Amino acid sequence: MQNTSEEQLQIRLITKQELFAVPDVPLSVPAIIDCKSLNDLVNQLLKESNSDFLKPKDFDFLVLGELLRVTLVEHLQEHNISSETTVDVEYLERTPAPEPEESILHDDWVSGLQTTDKWILTGCYDNSVNIWTTHGKNITSQKEHKSIVKAVTWIDQANPSKGFVSVSHDLTGIIWSWEPEKDKITPKIALRGHERGVDSVGVSPNSNRIATGGWDTNLKLWSASLDDDGGEPAQKRLKGSSSSSLSVRTPLNTLKGHKETISSINWLDNNVVCTASMDHTIKLWDAELCGLKSEIVGQKAYLSSSWSPLSNTLIASSADRHIRLYDPRSSEGSLCKTTFTSHSLWVSCVTWSKYDPHLFMSGGYDLAVKLWDTRSPKAPLYNLQGHQGQVLGVDWSNNKYLVSGGCDNSVHIFKNKHMQ
Amino acid sequence: MGKTDKNLKRKVEEASNSKEIEEEKGSDSEEEDFLTTLNGDEDSSDSDREIEDSEDDNNELVEDEGEENNDSISGEDSEASDELEDEEEDESDEEDDSSGGEEEEEPLSEESEEETSEKEDESPKSINKLSESSKLDKNALSRSKTDEYADNDTSDEEDIRNTVGNIPKNWYDDYKHLGYDWDGKRIIKPEQGDQLDAFLKKMEDPDFWRTVKDPQTGQNVVLSDEDIQLIRRIRGQKIPDVNFEEYAPWIEWFTSKVEQMPIRKFPEHKRSFLPSKSEAQKVSKLVHALKMGWIKTREEQAKLRAKKEPQFYMLWQTDDQTEEMRRIHKHISAPKRLLPGHAESYNPPPEYLFDAKELKLWNKLKNAPWKRKLHFIPQKIDSLRKVPAYPRFIKERFLRCLDLYLCPRAIKMKLNIEPESLVPKLPSPRDLQPFPTVMSLEYKGHTDMVRCISTEKTGQYLLSGSDDGTVKIWEVNTARCLKTIKIEGVVRSVEWCPNQALSLVLVASDNDVYLINPHVGDTLISQKTDAVLSEVPKSDHIIPERIRTCVQWLEPTQELYERGVRLHLKHFKEVTQVTWHGKGDYFATVMPDGANRSVLISQVSRRRSQLPFAKAKGLIQCVLFHPTKPCLFVATQRHIRIYDLVKQNLIKKLMTNSKWISTMAIHPLGDNLLVGTYDRKMLWFDLDLSTKPYQTLRLHGTAVRGVAFHKRYPLFASGSDDRSLIISHGMVYNDLLQNPLIVPLKRLQDHDSFNDFGIFGVHFHPLQPWVFTSGADSTIKLYSN
Repeated sequence: MQNTSEEQLQIRLITKQELFAVPDVPLSVPAIIDCKSLNDLVNQLLKESNSDFLKPKDFDFLVLGELLRVTLVEHLQEHNISSETTVDVEYLERTPAPEPEESILHDDWVSGLQTTDKWILTGCYDNSVNIWTTHGKNITSQKEHKSIVKAVTWIDQANPSKGFVSVSHDLTGIIWSWEPEKDKITPKIALRGHERGVDSVGVSPNSNRIATGGWDTNLKLWSASLDDDGGEPAQKRLKGSSSSSLSVRTPLNTLKGHKETISSINWLDNNVVCTASMDHTIKLWDAELCGLKSEIVGQKAYLSSSWSPLSNTLIASSADRHIRLYDPRSSEGSLCKTTFTSHSLWVSCVTWSKYDPHLFMSGGYDLAVKLWDTRSPKAPLYNLQGHQGQVLGVDWSNNKYLVSGGCDNSVHIFKNKHMQ
Repeated sequence: MGKTDKNLKRKVEEASNSKEIEEEKGSDSEEEDFLTTLNGDEDSSDSDREIEDSEDDNNELVEDEGEENNDSISGEDSEASDELEDEEEDESDEEDDSSGGEEEEEPLSEESEEETSEKEDESPKSINKLSESSKLDKNALSRSKTDEYADNDTSDEEDIRNTVGNIPKNWYDDYKHLGYDWDGKRIIKPEQGDQLDAFLKKMEDPDFWRTVKDPQTGQNVVLSDEDIQLIRRIRGQKIPDVNFEEYAPWIEWFTSKVEQMPIRKFPEHKRSFLPSKSEAQKVSKLVHALKMGWIKTREEQAKLRAKKEPQFYMLWQTDDQTEEMRRIHKHISAPKRLLPGHAESYNPPPEYLFDAKELKLWNKLKNAPWKRKLHFIPQKIDSLRKVPAYPRFIKERFLRCLDLYLCPRAIKMKLNIEPESLVPKLPSPRDLQPFPTVMSLEYKGHTDMVRCISTEKTGQYLLSGSDDGTVKIWEVNTARCLKTIKIEGVVRSVEWCPNQALSLVLVASDNDVYLINPHVGDTLISQKTDAVLSEVPKSDHIIPERIRTCVQWLEPTQELYERGVRLHLKHFKEVTQVTWHGKGDYFATVMPDGANRSVLISQVSRRRSQLPFAKAKGLIQCVLFHPTKPCLFVATQRHIRIYDLVKQNLIKKLMTNSKWISTMAIHPLGDNLLVGTYDRKMLWFDLDLSTKPYQTLRLHGTAVRGVAFHKRYPLFASGSDDRSLIISHGMVYNDLLQNPLIVPLKRLQDHDSFNDFGIFGVHFHPLQPWVFTSGADSTIKLYSN
C-alpha cells in the first residue's frame, strides 16, 4: 500500500474535441491521481499550450471505456489492467449539472409527459391532458378521458401541430389536435379496441402509426392521421353509447403474444416495434408483417424502456433497482450489456437523451431522478432532486429540458446547459 | 595352508619322480618296461598333478583321495560285492558310466599314487603282478599308439593323449572311441568284457586290487608298489616323500632375540608418529554423518529397534482377546476390577493415610459402608514382611462372585447419531428464486388496521378492507388508491370475484355482506355486471324459516347503490369471513356466533342461501372452498372437516393438534392445505397422505394470522402478530410418492406493531412472485423479488 502512494503511472491524454487538444506526449502522474487532479492537470496544459484559453473548464476522463470515478490505480485494478502500461486517458468536457428551472403543479399525479421545443404535454391522474409552456405556464387543459391518463406523446416531435395521443385506463386512446396559435386542443379521434386499461403508447418515427399496449396484453397498431375515417364512427358511437362527439378509430392490427400488461412501447424504426412487458419479456414486432421478430427474456417484470437511435441500444427498467442496457440486434453473448444500479427502489421510467448517445435519465420510486452516462455504470452523473413523491415519468425529448413528473403532482423541469 | 603346502607337495612329488627315474635307469629291462608303461601311463599321474595344481582346494582333494583310497582298499569286500559281475567281464570296466568327472579322476590319482608306492614297496607279489599287468598294459598301449616317449620326453604339456579336454566322459558313452589323439585319430575304447569277465578277472588276477582305469585312454593300469606306498603315506597323513627328514635340525634363519640396536641407521620418520590426515578426514566424515543422523551407531540402531518392537509379551496368552466360552452364546465377560491404587499399598504415601477427620467419617459410615470412599483403612507397614494376612480376602472373593452371579450383564447398545444428520437437507434459498425479498411499495391511505386484502386476477388492482370502515381499490404498480368505498363498520373480509366475467367484490362488515361493483378495469364487464345484478331472478322457491331468519337478500339503498353496492345481505350475526367459490357464483359466509347456522352458502345468480350444516360442530373459524372439487373445508377451533357438497357428507377430519386455528389456505392444486394457528404454528396437511399434519412449522413467535399460497410459483407466505412475514418455498410434486418440499426462505419485518397486532392479511400477486401484506399499522406493503 505504501508503494501505491508513491507509484507513478504513464498516461497519455487524448481527446476527440479539437478545441481542447493538448500535446500528445506520455505523462507520468502519481498512481492515486483522481478526476480532480487530472482536471487541474489538463487545465494547466491547456493554459500553457493555448494562450487564449482563460476560463478553466471541467473535464471528465474516460479510461478503458468507463468514466473515471475513483483513483486511476483503483480504476485500473477493477479492470485488471497492469499499471506498467501507458494508459490512454480520454478527456471530454464534463456534462454540466442540469439546473432546476421550473416546477409545474398539477391537480393530481402526473403519469406521462413529453416536451417539444416550446411546450410540455402532460397526462394526469385526474383524467386530464395538459399543455404547458417550457416556462411553466399553463396553456390549456382538458378532461376528455374518463379515467386516469397513463401516457401521452406527440405525434410528431418536430411539428407539434400534428397533434398528440393520450392513452388512459378508460380503455381508449385519444388523438388530439393542437392549434398552437389558438392555444386550443381538441380531441379528435378515439382509439377503441383495448379491453383493459391502456398503459403505453408509441408513435412511429415517420409519424404514421401509433402503437398502444395495455392490460389486455395486446399490442394494437393504429393510424396516426388526424383525418376522420368516414362513416364507421357513427355506428361505433351508437354502439359505444358514448356521449362525446369523437369519431372512433379501430386498430389496424392487433398483435398478441404477451402474457401480461405491456408497460412500454418503442419504435426502433418505421417497421419494428419494441414492447416491454410485465411478463418478463421484451419483444420485437414487425409492424409490417404483424409478427413477432425476436424476444429478450429477463428475470423481472419490465416497467419501462427506451430506445436510442443514436446508440442503437435499448435501456429497460424492471421491478427492481436496476436499469439494464440491451442491444436487441445482437444475438450473441449476454443480452444485458450493462447494469446501472443506483436507485434504491423500483425504477419506474427511463428515457434516452435524444441528442447524446451516452446520456439517459431515469426516475424511480425512491423519489430520485438520475442522469446517467452509459460509460459510468456504477454511479449516475447527477441526481436531480426535488420530487416529494414517486417519479412516474421522465422526458428528455427537448435537449434543453430534463422533465420529470410524479406522485407529488408536480412536473420538475431541469435545464440542460450542455448543448451540442 | 594352501599354497605353500601345495608347493611343498609338488616338490615332494617331483622329487619322488626324479628318484623314480633314477631308479628306473638302473633297473632291468623288465623294470624299464615297467617304466615305459608307467611313463606311458604317467599321463595319469601327471595329469593328476596338473589337476592338483589347477584346483584350489587340492589339499582337500588329496585328503579325500586318501580316504577314498582307504575305502577302496579296506572296503575291498564291499566293493567286491558291487563289482562282482564287473570283474567277470573286464578289469577295465571299473568306470561307472554314470559317474561324473570328479569320480573319474579319483581312481586316476589312486593309480598314480599306487604306482609310486609300488616302486618302494617292492613286495615280490606285487612285482609279479605288476610286471604281468604292465606287460599287458604295454601291449595294449603299444597297440593303440606309437611310443612318444622314445626320446625320454616327459614334459607335462604332451602328457595329455586325449584332446577332448576336461569333459564328462559319459558324453562318449555311445561311441566306440573315447576321444581323439593329437593326430586327430580316434582313441578307441578298449574291449570290455561283460560282468562275468570282470568277475573272473577279479577272482583270478592277483593285481586286480591295484588295477585302476585311466579315464583318458580307457586302459586299465596296475599301480606300482611305489604308488601304493605314496598313497599309504598320504593316507597316514605323512609327508608323501619317503626321503623327507622330519626331524632335521632347526636352522634359525631369523633371530629370535630382540636386537638392542636398530638395524637401520636412520630413525623412524616423524610421519609415522603423527596421526594420518586422510584417516582423520574419514573419521571426521563419519562423525559428521553420525551427528547428522545419516548413519547410526549400533547402540542407536538397537534403541530404534527396541522402540519399534514391544519389549514385553504376554506370558500365557493374549490379553485383548475375549475368553471364549464354549457353550455360552455371546458371552459377556465379567467387568474387570479396578487396579489397586496407592491407598491399597502396604506402604502408601502419607497423603493416602487417613487423618483423624477422615477416620471419623469412615467410622461414622459404619452402617452404610457403600457410602465410604474406601472400603478399608489404608495401613502403613514398614516392610512387606510384616504385612498380615488380609482378613477380608475370602469375603471379598465371595462378594465378587455374588456380584457376577446376581447382576445380569447386558451388552450396551450405543447409538451414535450426529446432530447434523437429523437436520433435513434442504436446498439453498438461492436456488429457489424467484421469491419476494424486498419491500417495494407501500399502499398508504387507510386510517386503521387493514384486516383483509385481495387482488384482481390480472394483478392490476388490489382490494383492501380496513377497520376504518372503508374498502379501497389500489393500482398495484403505482400504489395509487383509485377508489375508496365507504362502508359503515369494520370490514372483516373482502374478496375479489374469481369470475373474470363479473366485476364484483365481496365485502363483509358487521352483520352485512355487500356485493360491490368496483367499476375498475373493463367498463363493458362492469356494465354487464350491473345489468345482470339489476334484474331479480324470479323463483317460486319458498325460503325456509331457518334460513330466512338467518339471512336476508336486500336491494341496496340508493345511497349504497351509488357507492357501488349491488347486493346487500343482512345476516343475523356478525360475519367474520366471506369467501368465493372458484367459479365465482357461490360464496360462503362464516358467522362464528351462529351456532348451527354459522356457515352459510349463498348463490349470487339465484340470490338464494343455504345452511349446509344442521348441527354445530364447534366454534367455526373459517371456511374454504376446494379450488377444483365440490368440497368445503370448515375449520373449527381444533379440527378441520372436509365436506363433500354434492354428496353432503363428511369426507375427512384433519387433526391439527393445536389449540386454536386462525386461518387456512389451500394449494392451487387442491391436495395440500396450510393452516395457521393462534398458537404460533403453521401446519401443512398433505390431504393424500394423512389426516395429521405433514409438517408443523414453528417459524413465528406469535399467533399466525395470515397464510397464502401463490397460484403459480411454489411459494407460500405467512404473516403473524410478531410483525414478520415469512416466505417459504413449498414445492408440491405431481408424483404421489414424492412428499412436498418445504423450505423457509425469508423473514421480512417491515410492518409496525399496533395494539399487539402485526400482520393481518397475506396475499400473493396472481402472476408475479410478489406478495402483499396488510398490517395493523394501516398500511399494505408489496414485496417483490
